[in-house]
Amino acid sequence: MTSRNQQDAQVATAAPRLRTIGRRPPLGSYLLDLWQRRHFIYADSRARAFSGNRDYILGNLWLIGKPILDGITYYIIFALILQIDRGMDNFVGFLLIGIFMFSFTTRATNSSVTAMISSRNLLQSFSFPRASIPLAVLTRELLSMIPVLTTMFLLLIVLAPSDYPVVVTWKWSVFFLIFGLQTLFNTGVVLYCARLGSALPDLKFFLGFLTRMWFYGSGVIFPITRFVQDEFWIAVLQSNPMYLVLDMSRDILLFDALPSARSWMILSAWAVVTPLMAFLYFWQGEESYAQQQ
Amino acid sequence: MPSSSRGHPTVAVDRVSRSFKVPSLEALKDLGPASRALARFGWRPTVKLQALKKVSFTAHSGESIGVIGINGSGKSTLLRLIAGLDVPSRGTVKATSQPVLLGVNAALQPELSGLANARLGLLAMGFSPEALEEAMAMVITQANLGPAIHRPMKTYSAGMGSRLRFAIAAASQPEILLIDEALATGDETSRNRAEERMDQIREQAGTVFLVTHSGQTVEQTCTRAIWLHHGELVQDGPAKETATMYRWWAWNVANGKHDVADKILRQETAKGAAMAEALAKATTADKSARSGKPKKPGNPGQKPHRGTSPKSDRPGRGDEDGVTS
Repeated sequence: MTSRNQQDAQVATAAPRLRTIGRRPPLGSYLLDLWQRRHFIYADSRARAFSGNRDYILGNLWLIGKPILDGITYYIIFALILQIDRGMDNFVGFLLIGIFMFSFTTRATNSSVTAMISSRNLLQSFSFPRASIPLAVLTRELLSMIPVLTTMFLLLIVLAPSDYPVVVTWKWSVFFLIFGLQTLFNTGVVLYCARLGSALPDLKFFLGFLTRMWFYGSGVIFPITRFVQDEFWIAVLQSNPMYLVLDMSRDILLFDALPSARSWMILSAWAVVTPLMAFLYFWQGEESYAQQQ
Repeated sequence: MPSSSRGHPTVAVDRVSRSFKVPSLEALKDLGPASRALARFGWRPTVKLQALKKVSFTAHSGESIGVIGINGSGKSTLLRLIAGLDVPSRGTVKATSQPVLLGVNAALQPELSGLANARLGLLAMGFSPEALEEAMAMVITQANLGPAIHRPMKTYSAGMGSRLRFAIAAASQPEILLIDEALATGDETSRNRAEERMDQIREQAGTVFLVTHSGQTVEQTCTRAIWLHHGELVQDGPAKETATMYRWWAWNVANGKHDVADKILRQETAKGAAMAEALAKATTADKSARSGKPKKPGNPGQKPHRGTSPKSDRPGRGDEDGVTS
């Protein structure tokens, strides 16, 4: 009997520990898991890019084609017909920066709101930190911005009016700092949209309406001060992160001027607080994403 | 005790229940005209579906466990819960390492080639790029798809898809592998190859779960069987006995002998419950005896989970020493 017990005891001490499966891990180990999945996030973002535009003849050229067509439409309506460009030095440049930069955020929201549902196969087959999916969506949109930004720079230089030429100076490097802040802010937006869209798939239809409101409230096509005179509302609209991204980019790229300290502070706050809050929000729903209700 | 010959516990399922709210028109006729009007516009009343009811068992290393039962008995739900892809409404699932589930519906990314799907799946399971190449070579050998591995997965037949999925799951070298009806779709050669691989995993001190509605498959490939019926554990025992009883029951149901079938079901449920109780008692005594001797008494990692009262699960630490040893 004694040897029997000793044998059992050896088995007992050698046996690995049981841990709970399927529960949300604490934040620290979750972040570690996520970091370990960075290769997966990149691979998944490439897979998404591959399947995204492949049904179209022009494929990924539409990344550039769509904002150009949008730009032409808005130019015809707002410059040629409504003549809103009167008194503006470089309306084409203003419009180009607005549409191309805003498209990053629009595409990120649109693809993240359906991301958890369209990735259901992956979510139901493998166990991995679910935040990998929205982060892969963001990575894909970030990679798409490389050709989009290159086109924007070229068009800005080529289409600039002769009285107000666009010149590349050292200040353009500051632009990438702004783009970095926009990317951080978008990380938050993507995480929010992914959880909301997974809990409420109908949000997809409502989202177009919301982004359109945001689009006009951010001064993509015309300066918001042209139509809003009330000081309170101007202050509110000018604290909108996307307004700041566009306004600060225009300061640098069109006017060769550095943005104000106020703009930097507000945008930085958005770029830090949004992803942090969104990450906590997404992490809290971790157990819900693969469930069939 | 069987626990020492079977190896250490790898999966502990403790009083797990899972219920779903599913839309159903069944309740509609009992509702008022307002609800019926809403239903015309797509609203559906939901009913609560109890997929699993207080299921408990402990799996050990070196076991291959067949989960049998008719369609809708909760087999796949149980597997998804063990894999951590779903969360129990009540109870807990514990395991020594992350179980890998091989499901039927995992078409993965239909646009991508089989190779790209394998790469994505392995990375999702946490493979590093360095370890990936070796695992990919294993996938290619195990799946044995030839040039088809470069084709988009949407062009695969059902059998080819399941072969690839099995290869991906096996290449991750899981300690705990969960298989959902996947073997049924393969042809003879790929089935043999998969069974070989399952045996290999079992020999490497792993645990394999196999969900199927075929008693024959369980008899051929498993050492132990768990029979589920309407979410409840009917019987948990040696594969041959359990599967035989299950087939006998199924034959009676198929031939309209419902009274015989019901009797078998009642008998087996009672027997299963008695066995679980006896085993839990034995394990508790064993545990108490064990806790007197070793340096680390009552390691929570070895806590047996047989559906009994929580008290008997947890042996006393110091005070019981004098009584039992």
